[in-house]
Amino acid sequence: MYGNNAVLSNIDMTIEKGEFVTLLGPSGCGKSTILRIVAGLTDATSGAVKIEGKNMNNIQPKNREVGMVFQSYALFPNMTVKENVAFGLKMKKMNESEIEQKAKEALAIVHLSDKEHAFPHELSGGQQQRVALARALIVRPKVLLLDEPLSALDAQIRKKLQADLRSIQTELGMTMVLVTHDQEEAMAVSDKIFVMNKGKIAQEGTPTEIYTKPESEFVANFIGHYNVFTRKELEQMIGNKLPGERQKFAIRPEAIHLTAKEGDYRFKGTAKEAVMSGNVIRTVFQAGDRSFSVEQLHERQASLVLGNTYECYVSQEDVVALL
Amino acid sequence: MKKKGFADLFFVFLLLYLFLPILATMFYAFATNWNKTVLPEGLTFKWIAMLFQDSSFIEAFGRSVLLSGGAVMLALLFIVPAIFVIVLYFPKYEKWIQAAVVMVYAFPGVILAVGLIRAYAHIGVPMIVAVLGAYVISILPYIYQGTRNSLRNVNARQLLDAAELLGASKAQAFLKVLLPAVYPGLFAGALLSFSVLFGEFVLINLVVGSRFETVQIYLMKKLSTSGHIASSVVFVYLVLMGILTFIISMLTKRSKGAAKV
Repeated sequence: MYGNNAVLSNIDMTIEKGEFVTLLGPSGCGKSTILRIVAGLTDATSGAVKIEGKNMNNIQPKNREVGMVFQSYALFPNMTVKENVAFGLKMKKMNESEIEQKAKEALAIVHLSDKEHAFPHELSGGQQQRVALARALIVRPKVLLLDEPLSALDAQIRKKLQADLRSIQTELGMTMVLVTHDQEEAMAVSDKIFVMNKGKIAQEGTPTEIYTKPESEFVANFIGHYNVFTRKELEQMIGNKLPGERQKFAIRPEAIHLTAKEGDYRFKGTAKEAVMSGNVIRTVFQAGDRSFSVEQLHERQASLVLGNTYECYVSQEDVVALL
Repeated sequence: MKKKGFADLFFVFLLLYLFLPILATMFYAFATNWNKTVLPEGLTFKWIAMLFQDSSFIEAFGRSVLLSGGAVMLALLFIVPAIFVIVLYFPKYEKWIQAAVVMVYAFPGVILAVGLIRAYAHIGVPMIVAVLGAYVISILPYIYQGTRNSLRNVNARQLLDAAELLGASKAQAFLKVLLPAVYPGLFAGALLSFSVLFGEFVLINLVVGSRFETVQIYLMKKLSTSGHIASSVVFVYLVLMGILTFIISMLTKRSKGAAKV
């Protein structure tokens, strides 16, 4: 609860051991609050958190065996990299030689063996986040929570760390829960995604399920550049009745093509503008008073001429009826 | 070019305006005689030596250190934990501290002195204790700013969370992680407060007067008897403040480095 408003409601999540799960949603949707509740840093007004079947509600954060990596790294500024990484083991009163060895191993996992004597402020953002990851991994938590760990980093380092995160998770078989607002990041690393909106789970599923079968307009808009039409708009465009009772439909921009296949819906559109983003060209078409976008792979010869009208096709299974 | 020449001239004038009185005072502390000449007739350590041979100066210096240091220690002991708890766990109450900080600035020393005398003189509280109490409150702004900025710089709440999730108890998280992380900022705030209190004159003079002679009151007395000794006191005071300022700036640099987490 925040004031009189419920931050979260009806959250029912089951995460399998060794799974990489992502909570995906816009800012303020309550995804970080879920992590804090799992970690025991925030109390839920009702409900229960169970880890391996054990109720965690009255268990202090330090005894939950849950690790966390924060967006702002939260490294201890007065300690060196090695001291930061070793902190968890020191709290467990492990003997010095064992701590030394494990700290070295953890730093090797995140490729920072040469930085063990550096202080956090001497490292780049990416390196700091690797230290934070090593510090959390070293105590082998049952669940590792990652609260937007990569969002303060630039694109290239973020991509590299995404891949590292996934490979470390697979190697250690650790259960990880990532919070992010970046749908590409969620798709790249997760076994399962929970899309969240306004404190509720909007949809859960594998990355493919979420991407190809969005259940609501919110999910369709949030996870891709879906074209969302009302029943009336789409029926007018294709000149045909659509099955079922649903009133909104979504079509992925790359599902619209210019060559006909049997059973496809057909509609006309005039190419208005094109935006190139690396390997993909997104072209905006106008059909009556509605516009829609089409994505094609960037090929050597431009196949579309702006101002021309084209016949567009979409297969029936790519027209997703929304709730 | 003309504009730049004017700016340079103005700058030199400003430096002279600011530093000439200080330089003159310092020279006077080392001058054998400086009455009819542009520069001192000769230089000597006589006045400084005399100052340090004067037991009442040493005692006054000791009292100033004791009073200012004591007030700072009390503030660290009582105000800092309160600020920690409020900033970290009850941020909505921070506005009340901020109001208290403004009030400290708003009260002129003279009014505060009259208030203290009226409130405490007749109920048996030694006036020096009343002044000590007022000192503790008067450094609230420096202690508050120093502590709060340090806590914000190191993202204190998250440090505590991180430490606890790694198996530390609340006390361990506080002592092993938070305190060392904010220590440079706290120490800088404490030194700044000390130097402010060390130079305080109005309150101690009006409320306690010569019954508790501090360096400032000693200086006031010497002004009418020996200009050289008074200048020597100022010189010693300036050297002390210089050392404190240097330490503060070093600490501030360090804490800035540490803040880049």
